[in-house]
Amino acid sequence: MSRVIRQIAILTLKDLRIEARGRQTLGLVAVLGVLIIAVLGLGLNRQVGGVDATAILWVAYLFAGVLSFEKTMAVEREDAALAGLLMAPVDRGVLYVAKLLSNLALMAALAAVITPVAILFFGFDLSAAPLGFAAVMAISMVGFAAVGTLFAAATASTRLQGGLLAMLVFPISLPLVIASTQLLVSMFRDGEPLGGLALGVLVAFDAVFLVVSWLVFECVLEP
Amino acid sequence: MPKPGNLATVAYWLVALAALGAAAAMLAFYTPTEQTMGPIQKIFYLHMPAAVNTLLCGAVVFVASLGFLWRRNLWWDDLASAAATVAVLLGLIVLATGMIWAHQAWGVWWTWSPRLTFTLILWLLYVVYVLVRPAIESRDRRALVCAVYGLVAFLDVPLVYLSARLIPQDIHPASIGLDGSMKLTLAVWFVPVTLIACGLVAARYRRNRRERIDEASRAGQGGAGMGG
Repeated sequence: MSRVIRQIAILTLKDLRIEARGRQTLGLVAVLGVLIIAVLGLGLNRQVGGVDATAILWVAYLFAGVLSFEKTMAVEREDAALAGLLMAPVDRGVLYVAKLLSNLALMAALAAVITPVAILFFGFDLSAAPLGFAAVMAISMVGFAAVGTLFAAATASTRLQGGLLAMLVFPISLPLVIASTQLLVSMFRDGEPLGGLALGVLVAFDAVFLVVSWLVFECVLEP
Repeated sequence: MPKPGNLATVAYWLVALAALGAAAAMLAFYTPTEQTMGPIQKIFYLHMPAAVNTLLCGAVVFVASLGFLWRRNLWWDDLASAAATVAVLLGLIVLATGMIWAHQAWGVWWTWSPRLTFTLILWLLYVVYVLVRPAIESRDRRALVCAVYGLVAFLDVPLVYLSARLIPQDIHPASIGLDGSMKLTLAVWFVPVTLIACGLVAARYRRNRRERIDEASRAGQGGAGMGG
């Protein structure tokens, strides 16, 4: 067991070290996220405020997230790094968990940049339930990254990368978007506690797609 | 002299069209007109069977995707792709009839009611399946990506349904009670719609398979090993 954990830690830290040295992904996607929020803010022209900002936040998360999933997988394509990984005596499930963790770390860093910007631009008052907000977003991101990591690996060797991953991941992630925005509206506008069917949908999404992606990941990895 | 397989296909389609004709005649002459919705209510007899068959096609995509991931035989992919195409077609019918219903009941063509939202997302899921296919060049890779997507998309359907129910309803759904003759009409309409859906999946499957074997034999590998 401890061997598996060590393998996961080594693989995850490898991805994060590459990112820390190159700083290719995070800067790019964070700026993209801020740009999306700015464009929507300008376009909507102050008609949207408060908790409605979560929908706008989601648009930024979705686009920036897909871009970073693509980047973390593209790293493995260079210099046939994936072929080396596949030859290593490591279970494919471990590879999936490690990739998922590095994607989640990247998403957390991304959210740390984009979320304050959206809160600032749209005057969204977090003080009613800051922990609830963080919990909802964290649970949603796990599901989103679970699906995104799987499809990033599946489409990594195809030539048409840009739009393809977004097209595959966006419709699948819509239940997350609907459930988390409804949950945040009920928490912030109606003052209800965290819970109910919406939370159930989020947790079910995470559980179903973590298990399925973990099982299927073995099939999609090809050097 | 036509081949017996072709004769069976022709006979199948004649039966399906006859069933459609009979169901339409029943709708016109037997089924009573509903009071609040008027004659528009009659699209419900097409809407409901089409919706059920869309889900059935999604289930076929799911099973065929699992089959491909398990067996790696390309004819599973032909079947999944055929069912996904028919799901898009049926989903479009469900969406269109749903919008006509919304216009009659609430005076707007579109509203984010749970049922319309669910239909839209369900349709989008399979539209993406069909649109993504030609974007992936390698035959095996395309089958693999689509199998993973077909699997995930079907598992997503209950989550989409549950999350759509969370959307607050500002309008009351025009719920109508069906009396005995209406229920009978609905049951009868399932026959032609299901027959046509199955016939389309089969026809599409045969076309996909023929195209794939032609392509393989043109590439000089010969289609024999991949026929399944």
